[in-house]
Amino acid sequence: MTIYLDNASTTRPDDRVIDLVAAAERDAYGNDSSVHAMGVEAGKRTEKARLQVAAALNASPGEIVFNSGGTEGNNAALLGALAGRAGKPHIVISGMEHSSVANPVLRLEKSGMAVTVVDPGASGLVDPAAVQRALRPETALVSVMHANNETGVLQPIAELGALCRKAGVLFHSDACQSFTKTPLDLKKCAVDLLTVNSHKLHGPKGVGALYIRKGVSIAPLMEGGGHEDGMRPGTRNSPAIAGFGLAVTLCTPELAAKTAALRDFFMEELRKALPKARLNCADAPRLCGILSITMPGGTGAAALVRAMSAKGICLSAGSACSAGSNEPSRALKAIGLSDKEALRTIRVSLGRFNTKEELSLAAKELAAYAA
Amino acid sequence: MQHETLDLSGVPCPANSARALLRLETLDPGAELEITVDDGEPALNLPPSLEREGHAVIALRREGAHWVIVARKSQ
Repeated sequence: MTIYLDNASTTRPDDRVIDLVAAAERDAYGNDSSVHAMGVEAGKRTEKARLQVAAALNASPGEIVFNSGGTEGNNAALLGALAGRAGKPHIVISGMEHSSVANPVLRLEKSGMAVTVVDPGASGLVDPAAVQRALRPETALVSVMHANNETGVLQPIAELGALCRKAGVLFHSDACQSFTKTPLDLKKCAVDLLTVNSHKLHGPKGVGALYIRKGVSIAPLMEGGGHEDGMRPGTRNSPAIAGFGLAVTLCTPELAAKTAALRDFFMEELRKALPKARLNCADAPRLCGILSITMPGGTGAAALVRAMSAKGICLSAGSACSAGSNEPSRALKAIGLSDKEALRTIRVSLGRFNTKEELSLAAKELAAYAA
Repeated sequence: MQHETLDLSGVPCPANSARALLRLETLDPGAELEITVDDGEPALNLPPSLEREGHAVIALRREGAHWVIVARKSQ
């Protein structure tokens, strides 16, 4: 028996996606940059996916650059936007950004750029007024994720985008966790650069996209052929891109609502058995599938994850990207948790295939271990 | 009769062919699609791509730096 509750790390691909990817690998193996029949056959799959991803964001197909996923998208956005900037530009990020945002920014800081980190505080929400106060005349870019990968808190990116637009500052958002799980209309939301990926939404791994608003110019990370309008050279993984496109279309508001209901059911079940389990950022708007729970005193998250794993229950202590490290999570510290609390905090993340029965069982097992 | 337009100016080969074929998939048999592509390779590559999938190229005209290709969807 496996109860998979680590969907914020990655998801099980939908069978329909697996079938489409396998068929494309078999029947449309041409290079989608080749102009012959097999190239066009592969190109149809790539371009269909581009239309599907663009439609989900209310963007234009020409604004979508396919790449290898979230880490590449975030690096490309930040390093590309700041490349060749004259003077000493200033960057503003939140204190709970994923490493694929925080570490490129660290590199930029080492190269002489100034960085301001805005912490969200206990609510888990970045305050637009705090970002406004952080802006300087030389600020070149603000980056705040759409939904945090550990707490699930949805950030006010429409407000942040609007204030950046007014100040003439580029605004980037990492939407890897939120894409397709909450509405995002880029015609109405002033985001200039947006990172999305496939494997968090039951699509294949190793594929994602960077949205680059028309008129925004950034430098490519790599030099090579002219793929993706010169923004991302290298032969595209057309079958995986096709799977990404299909996976996007399979995500519906109904599925998100069902996941949110299961999330709340799990938390109620856990609280019934373990009243001292504390849901972090409980009052903030949160993504449908993520719960950050600080367990009662004495329950170390790492040991709990091992114990649950022995019972077939997969969840994580903090985020997978920092799993294996004994350091308390940066995101959890940014919302005000002490080191001890952060090390007692687990993340339960739901996906399309979870059932009420398995959530009920997982809550009982967790409570029994922690009691 | 259904008649639609698709502006693929600036879209390189073979993505332009791919997008034209995808749009034709959404139309009724016999419908016409007026496609604008760049001069050069796009104008040379698109007609054979359309014909290879059974669509008819019924008109081809130059408009400045672009070509307008009218395709009729296969029955």
